[in-house]
Amino acid sequence: MINITLIWQSLPALLHGTLITLKIAAYGTLIGFSLGTLLGVAQTSKNKLVRLLISLYTTIIRGTPMLFQIIIFVYIIPLPISELSAAIWAIGINSSAYICEIVRGGILAIPKGQHEAAHVLGLSPWQTYRYIIIPQAFRTLLPSFGNEFITLIKDSSLASIVGVMELFKEGTIVISQHYDAISIYAIVGLIYLVLTSIVSIVINYIQSRVNHATH
Amino acid sequence: MLRIKNLNKTFHNKKILNTISLDIQPKEIAIFLGESGVGKSTLLRILANLDIPESGAFELNGNTITPKELNKKNLVGMVFQNFNLFEHMTVLQNISFILEKVAKKSKKESKKIGLDLLKQYGLIEKKDSYPLSLSGGQKQRLSIARTLALNPQIICFDEPTSSLDPYLTNFIADIIKKIAQQNHIVLIATHDIALLDKLQATIYLIKNGNIIEKAKTEAFKNDQDKYPNIKNFILGHRPRLNKPRLNRPHPKSTAGE
Repeated sequence: MINITLIWQSLPALLHGTLITLKIAAYGTLIGFSLGTLLGVAQTSKNKLVRLLISLYTTIIRGTPMLFQIIIFVYIIPLPISELSAAIWAIGINSSAYICEIVRGGILAIPKGQHEAAHVLGLSPWQTYRYIIIPQAFRTLLPSFGNEFITLIKDSSLASIVGVMELFKEGTIVISQHYDAISIYAIVGLIYLVLTSIVSIVINYIQSRVNHATH
Repeated sequence: MLRIKNLNKTFHNKKILNTISLDIQPKEIAIFLGESGVGKSTLLRILANLDIPESGAFELNGNTITPKELNKKNLVGMVFQNFNLFEHMTVLQNISFILEKVAKKSKKESKKIGLDLLKQYGLIEKKDSYPLSLSGGQKQRLSIARTLALNPQIICFDEPTSSLDPYLTNFIADIIKKIAQQNHIVLIATHDIALLDKLQATIYLIKNGNIIEKAKTEAFKNDQDKYPNIKNFILGHRPRLNKPRLNRPHPKSTAGE
């Protein structure tokens, strides 16, 4: 049965792990978002070589497991950074490939007329992207970005494999000490569920505000 | 004066504009009349630096100029068929943003000019609304106001009345008249013959990339038979209330034959 006392006692450790999980997801999203947006915009350029290189990047990243990428970042590439930082970079770079595709799709979905109006009105290509295309694309992409953040919260558990003390790893350690997998996995699962639900609610709220504002 | 010399454009091996040459004076309205796909919009798009011609030259007030320069110096504006308003900006921002970023005016000044234009075009109450909440006529007016914000000398209208009802067509015709009177060179691509009745303009009938007939609206009204092609075009496009129904067989009766 569920051991409430054990859960209560292990809560500080689990909450510490939760903070690390959030840190991985937040930094991972930040890296993924910045890099992914940059690549996504570049992917819509006329330069064939740029498009080819980015396609290669997204194909490799999306075609291999994230676990594999984390291991490469932590053990194979000799980076002078902690396991946590290496895992964050691996997860961020993984996410960037997905965000690149999301952003590319969002930009291509903006009607050609918006580019043309901006051009005739004398906006530079940079101004057109910065003020006209990207803000409109991001509005429609908000749910996709929310999904990506939720995915990263869950995927951050993969960092446990290289010894990062995030939520899942903390849970595993408590289990190895008390041999009560059911209670601990139950609370660990619940914490993930609460985190993802909160993000989901926040994204829905922002989305409804944005929709309300432009109607 | 705007002078277009020997303009050529081919698209997918089809000649869209075939050595077009013409002059348009300030205060003059040039109406390019023709069916869809005859090249009248392409002419406007080349001028607005949206399409690149194979050959041709342009002169503005006696100076040779390229569409790229016209665009860079904000000498040409375009009112698009489907308006192309910036949906994520308010009605006021659609204008003030352009003044800030392109004309490099201060925030305060941009807002002031924007509000003046909105007043002029009866949109002041909508200043904080978003384009999605505007009616077709209001979108059209905002699109015109935004184009006028930079005061371009040449203003192109691509099918300006295609999505408006007849009452609004009158209204837009009045606006176009006023714009021309303010010393602008106005080019209109349209197949809407209603505009011909309402504007004093030069009509260029375009077919297969060629100007096949040219007439001033006044001259045309006085002697229609002198301009048989324009007359035929208009007859073909005049709405007929008692249009005979086509005698088509009922689809069901031919099924299985």
